Amino acid sequence: MKLDPLSIPVRAGESVVRLAWLLVFVLVGSPALGGASGIGVAVVGWFVIALAYQLIYYQRFEYDLSEDTLDIASGVVSRRNREIPVGRVQNVDISRNVVQRALGVAQINLETAGGSSTEASLRYVSLEEAKRLQSEIGRLKRGAVSARTADPEPERELFAVTRKELVLLGIIGIDLRLLSFVTVLLPVISPSLRERFADPLVGLAVTAPLAAVAVVGVAALISGAIALTSYYGFRLARRNDELLYERGLLQRFSGTIPLEKVQTLTISENFLARRLGYASLAVETAGYAPSDEGSESAIPLADRGRVVDLARSIEAFDGIEFERPPKRARERYAVRYSVVAALAVGAAFAADRYTGLTFAWYVALALLPLALVGAHLKWLHLGYDIQSDYVVLREGFWTRTTTVVPYYRVQTVLDSQTVFQRRRGLASLVVDTAGSSGLTNRQPRALDIDAERAADLRETVADRLQTAVQRRRSDRRRERLRSIEAELDEVPIDPA
Amino acid sequence: MDDTDGDRTGRSPFGEETTPAIRRIEDASAPESTVPDVEALTGDPQTLEPAIQGVWVIQSAISAAVLGIIAAVIFSVVSPGGAWVGGVVFAVAAGLGIVFSLLKYRIWMYQVRDDSLYLRRGVLTRVNTVAPYVRIQHVDTRRGPVERVFGLATTVVYTAGSRGADVSIPGLTPERADDLQTRLKHLAIAAEGDDAV
Repeated sequence: MKLDPLSIPVRAGESVVRLAWLLVFVLVGSPALGGASGIGVAVVGWFVIALAYQLIYYQRFEYDLSEDTLDIASGVVSRRNREIPVGRVQNVDISRNVVQRALGVAQINLETAGGSSTEASLRYVSLEEAKRLQSEIGRLKRGAVSARTADPEPERELFAVTRKELVLLGIIGIDLRLLSFVTVLLPVISPSLRERFADPLVGLAVTAPLAAVAVVGVAALISGAIALTSYYGFRLARRNDELLYERGLLQRFSGTIPLEKVQTLTISENFLARRLGYASLAVETAGYAPSDEGSESAIPLADRGRVVDLARSIEAFDGIEFERPPKRARERYAVRYSVVAALAVGAAFAADRYTGLTFAWYVALALLPLALVGAHLKWLHLGYDIQSDYVVLREGFWTRTTTVVPYYRVQTVLDSQTVFQRRRGLASLVVDTAGSSGLTNRQPRALDIDAERAADLRETVADRLQTAVQRRRSDRRRERLRSIEAELDEVPIDPA
Repeated sequence: MDDTDGDRTGRSPFGEETTPAIRRIEDASAPESTVPDVEALTGDPQTLEPAIQGVWVIQSAISAAVLGIIAAVIFSVVSPGGAWVGGVVFAVAAGLGIVFSLLKYRIWMYQVRDDSLYLRRGVLTRVNTVAPYVRIQHVDTRRGPVERVFGLATTVVYTAGSRGADVSIPGLTPERADDLQTRLKHLAIAAEGDDAV
């Protein structure tokens, strides 16, 4: 099969856009070269070259989906032939930006667990072809797992984002850490504003932080807008053993998440979402590169109860009852935050004394009681729950993440103790999976639990992994026997 | 059940005896598929070779030297102090390096257990790792330049986990490293895990 012929002008156009940046730099640097005609000639010339190259690329690119592999032959200068086993494909994603949507073409990306980047991407095929590949790969994969469930099941919608949820997402999507930073900074600066605005130089020194605040505010708005456009029209459906999602306002994404390959589930709720009773759900598979988003959002934002229900339909974990770390962990955070607060007070005081600026340094003293509150809040939101098939770990105040890890997906378990943890008899348990290290870029862990308990849990998790592997194995054996028996029943026994 | 070329040489269906292109170097009389018992492969906690302390001392001395040179350059420009500060920095860093190397050796321990490899290590942050054999992807042995001088090798165990080659055992003699690699390979085969990704 070939790519869509329209991919030739689209790809050539993309390379012109890429060149545009270079042109801007060159022309700004040397106006003598430029003029509108100069730019025009360069753009047209480059477009022609790119068009010729893309024509060859198109001619030499061929793909073919056979029963069990996707074969891709590509390359203009150096040729590359690939065979990707369909059973190894983790995700099949389709994305279309505005231009591609207007032309009716789509980019399709295949992810496998190996390697550090997307395994293969077809740029571009027609939308129908992309949909066909997506469902066909899904069908073949099911066929590879078990022949009897290969009949396609109708799509069942699990979730569609409502307008209210989308607006909330835009608000909640604002990074709260920025806001907390601003609220701490403002009262310290404001008293000096009134006195010193007369002197223009000092005025600048004062307005600069204010400008920074404005920048932060704009950044927050932008992050809200991004959240809004990227999750516009989000819907999640289930077909056989796959989740299908669609999202995006300007650039439309759709993709599949095979349930068979799910590593961990992460429910995250930030401070605001928690107040309003909302949460989001992310499903992590092993396919994505570390630079990517890491995991696919299964639900961007919905009522917490609904999110938990959906999570439990993917992984059947029990009701969560968290165990908190011992109280001495809280003392640790109190000490840590107090030291930071004391340093901040010291810095404010020094700035007040030794520079021309008058800071209301004593306002920074308010940080000391805040440190204690912070320590308590951090402790309050920590938790772990060891269930029969899952380990559930929770962490974080600003954004609280609850991670569900099936024992079967555990790769290594470790407990670690820093010097400070050893003094208090605490340890952290880290459960490593093949997931792409998550939204928050941290591994599932139980922070600061009792050292002996951590050592016990380390062994418990490792043992339960063994049990889970054995159970899987016997399940699969039984399944295989059953399918062989079924086949034998169908074949009439030869009398001779 | 053995269907390899190596075992068929004697009863060749051809008139003359054929020689397979690929032969196993090891003793061909041993049946290929026998993986030794799990009990025979596992053992008590093991420590590293004492020579590893030398490797660590030299490695820390190199970083101490770099640090010392940087300090010397900085302080020869800045007015209080002179190039001698670099010497002090080097001495302190190297001293710390030696102490840490000795402590690190004392703490380092690994054990080939029934169904997992267990490691304990770390001076400031003590880490206990359990790497189940069902999750082993492959096992490497590697030897860096300093390690080669001391006649040592490192065995690295890879899992599909996000921590990559987090499970590595330094300070083994090449024989021990090879032995450990073979053991782990057999244990991983015996565990017949799948990659779970």
